[in-house]
Amino acid sequence: MDILKSIYEVVWFILLVAAGVAALEGYFYTHFKFYARAWFFPAVLGVFPALALAVFGGLLGGYTFKLWLYFLLAEAAIAAFFRYAVKGRHTVPYLLLAPAFVGLALLLVYPFVFEVYLSFHDLKLTTIMMWKNTGTLPFVGIDQYVKVFTTSPLSEVTFWALLGRTLLWTFSNVFFHVAGGFILALMLNNQIRFKGFYRTLLVIPWAMPQVVAVLAMRGEFHSTNGFVNILIGKLLAVFPFLAALGVAPVQWLTDYPLLTCTLINIWLGIPFMMVVILGGLQSISSSYYDAADIDGASYFQKLRFITMPLVRPVMMPAVTLGTVWTFNNINVIYLVTGQAGGTEQADILVSALYKAAFTYNRYSYSAAFAIVVFAMLFFFSVFYLKSFDAAKDER
Amino acid sequence: MKKEMSAAAKRRRLNHLLLHAGLFLFAAACVYPLLRIFSVSLRPGDKLVSMDLSLIPAGATFVSYAKLLGDTMFLRWLWNSLLITLATSFIGVSLASTAAYAFSRFRFPGKKVGMILLLSSQMIPAGMLILPLFLMIMKLKLMNTYLGMIIAYSVSSLPFSIWILKGYYDTIPRSLEEAALVDGTSQVGAFWRIILPLSTPALSIAFLFNFTTAWNEYLVARVVLFSSQQYTWTLGLFELQGQYITQWGMFAAGSMLVTIPVLCVFLYSSKWLISGLTLGSVKG
Amino acid sequence: MATVQFKGIVKKFGDNLVLNGVDVDIKDHEFVVIVGPSGCGKTTLLRMLAGLEEITDGEILIDNLLVNELHPSKREIAMVFQDYALYPHMTVEENMNFALRLRKMDKAEIASRVAEASNVLQLNKFLKRMPKQLSGGQRQRVAIGRAIVRKPKVFLFDEPLSNLDAKLREEMRVEIAKLYQRLNATIIYVTHDQVEAMTLAGRIVIMNHGIVQQVGSPIEVYRKPCNLFVAGFIGSPTMNFMTGKLALEGEALFFKNEDIKLSIPPYLLSDAKKHDGREVVLGVRPDDVLVERDGEKCSDKVQGVLEVCELLGHRENLYLKVGGMRVLATVEAFFNRSPGSAVTLCFNYKNMHVFDKATESRISE
Repeated sequence: MDILKSIYEVVWFILLVAAGVAALEGYFYTHFKFYARAWFFPAVLGVFPALALAVFGGLLGGYTFKLWLYFLLAEAAIAAFFRYAVKGRHTVPYLLLAPAFVGLALLLVYPFVFEVYLSFHDLKLTTIMMWKNTGTLPFVGIDQYVKVFTTSPLSEVTFWALLGRTLLWTFSNVFFHVAGGFILALMLNNQIRFKGFYRTLLVIPWAMPQVVAVLAMRGEFHSTNGFVNILIGKLLAVFPFLAALGVAPVQWLTDYPLLTCTLINIWLGIPFMMVVILGGLQSISSSYYDAADIDGASYFQKLRFITMPLVRPVMMPAVTLGTVWTFNNINVIYLVTGQAGGTEQADILVSALYKAAFTYNRYSYSAAFAIVVFAMLFFFSVFYLKSFDAAKDER
Repeated sequence: MKKEMSAAAKRRRLNHLLLHAGLFLFAAACVYPLLRIFSVSLRPGDKLVSMDLSLIPAGATFVSYAKLLGDTMFLRWLWNSLLITLATSFIGVSLASTAAYAFSRFRFPGKKVGMILLLSSQMIPAGMLILPLFLMIMKLKLMNTYLGMIIAYSVSSLPFSIWILKGYYDTIPRSLEEAALVDGTSQVGAFWRIILPLSTPALSIAFLFNFTTAWNEYLVARVVLFSSQQYTWTLGLFELQGQYITQWGMFAAGSMLVTIPVLCVFLYSSKWLISGLTLGSVKG
Repeated sequence: MATVQFKGIVKKFGDNLVLNGVDVDIKDHEFVVIVGPSGCGKTTLLRMLAGLEEITDGEILIDNLLVNELHPSKREIAMVFQDYALYPHMTVEENMNFALRLRKMDKAEIASRVAEASNVLQLNKFLKRMPKQLSGGQRQRVAIGRAIVRKPKVFLFDEPLSNLDAKLREEMRVEIAKLYQRLNATIIYVTHDQVEAMTLAGRIVIMNHGIVQQVGSPIEVYRKPCNLFVAGFIGSPTMNFMTGKLALEGEALFFKNEDIKLSIPPYLLSDAKKHDGREVVLGVRPDDVLVERDGEKCSDKVQGVLEVCELLGHRENLYLKVGGMRVLATVEAFFNRSPGSAVTLCFNYKNMHVFDKATESRISE
């Protein structure tokens, strides 16, 4: 049976992971427990490198002497570290952390380092077979980085145009997310009937699977069948003067792809901000408003002097996160503009990066590209969080 | 005096009316696309492409659903997604629960560095790690398999899960564990018998987060899976709404089938989810 | 059933010295209350005894057994926490028998112990409830019950009553006193409330800044506080302090400052010559300030002004001003004078305390 086979496969894998975790814990426990014994160095240097060679050698496809030497050196360093630096302290927290962090190291840090390695070499469709067979790649230095800034990742659009488009995309999205979320949260934060009902309906774009939501919205922006154009058509029928203002059905997907993507993403992102801000609004004690009422503040004064400053601490982390998410959002653009042959007019940095790697198979180039993007994002975040921390200290 | 009161009441009523009108408009904008999908999924085969805006189309049928389940491998895709997602979430939550406990309760060298590492991992562009993961999975000969997918997914939600769980553990008073220690458990025993059972809400949120992330993932699947036997539903659905011929009816039916359960779970848990989100980020 | 000894206990959190050489001997069956202001290290001391806090230096012995490195569960102690620390996901019964279940004790034995404890604490009706369905006082009782079923050598109480309201606190205080008579066990009780300390303790340990100030029975620490801190901390309302100088005039010793001059009789301070010119603080409890009254062994009359009266019921607090100095007197109700009127007062020598101003320690008999 197919189903049984698939279950078997997954359960087998989970057991494998459990065994791996157990082995890992045992490995570290030995180091924590017996670091001071006389037989510590000979034992760990004898046993672990051999075991590692048996396991990883099989996985990596070779039991070479060189590999064994690497394991031996690594184990010697680890053992010395445990003996002279760790000395059996903090056993429990490190054992608790080990599985998660080894997982992160293998699947997050290692890929990251590998990406750096790729960016200095030349891996593309023509060299991938050579890499598969021999494991070596031609070294090209910073050529890929030079190319990132001088050539197009796709067929025509340049890095700088992508950067500008990305900034525009990020800024307009985050702005409308926050503004829309704030307005909706303010409206919901009243004593009105059907509040829970409205709230439930308003989070639906967030709750829907993104792929479904984006693909459905893409359909709605279709030039003849999508309801956006149908709606515009009906509006024109009712208010003919709108046509004079230049309102007319347009070819959304082909003529204004970036605008379409932005509209879709705004629709998708408002509920998250709304819920976060609503949470912040509800945590503000009503006595502040009572006090302001007595002081004679108007609605907008209360908004300006009480609501805004008190919601800010709740909002800022969400805005930071939202900015990074929007900057990194491939889903919407990729799903709307499609794959090969699709328009390039809507691409932002990250979607161009994905397409360069998997549509154009320019692996090393996209690696260099990714690192440039990461560096920008990282410095933005550090700077932003620093200024946020500084603002926190002021209060 | 009485006249003034009624003026104020009138103004309040007007305000509420405006509020309701505004909220209704926004809510309609949020729900309408979903209703449209529903309506398309009910259309009979010859009227799929139409300018009709009515919700229940003339001659509504379940033909699209039947065709989706009968003619395509949709059930198989759902099953693939489910298996991959469950395994991923299980592994992710297990790893996160212990790591978060270490961050919440212990002081040890490297704690701050570890937390910063987790935070900065959120800065990595999504597309960045796909390439090396793809090459790794290729080298491990796991292309087009469940295992390859699970490996690629398993740590992606880990940093966020750890943040959420750490925030929750921080709210559990330490004296509970101390009482357990005095009562005779070990430190790990106190975690297992006291903290874990108490953290079920946070664990479910972390599970849910892992689940929805993997359930809705598209880009990695696009790269790792290439035979339609192994597709997850996201790939399958994208295929249905292909570049040139769009199977609108089946696409809509499939969308409804995957959206309804996710929507129910999400709406049921959104209150917890948001408290977890704000806890994790504010307390950072 | 057990003695407890603290020998030279030192605790540092980083560079912060919390306990600086604490030595206390606790005898078998004794009810010892450790009292002091918050941050004095009393809770840290208790937690070190329980094994929840590492010991920087010194030794802790239970029944002459060094327990420094022993796991909390092996120390045969039971602890009642300030926030009760009831496991929220277990019923009252499960909370109470958790420790016994962990020890894989015989089921019949567990049941009988829980039944016995719940009888004593009147918890029979609540055994199947969850902690959050109980009131504060009931939770407190469950926390105590959880300690009793263990039959430990030593009971530790960490500010157990501080989360209760005033009325319930009084009730529980009596309950704990009764329980002690019944259990006849060694109890170490930490609180910042000196009333609890005075009413419950067989012996009081008063701590401040990580140092033991005085150890003694409630009466001893009340009657003969060994330094200014103890004198000010024990007793409510707080003792009146007057700063001044001792001076010899002829054979007699006098206490003097800008506002007041009192003769100091020899039975308060013998060897008058030795004290000539010494800077001192004079302490008198409000009960021993006699207003418009004469008493045996009373000081010279002093003129004062009544500022505020506070009626407490059968007693009344009078806030007086003598020159620039504020004095509080507690007298029988009703003191029939309006604020602003002049009164004469005197101080009872029998309960007067003289402290050296520099060393802050007691110099009177």
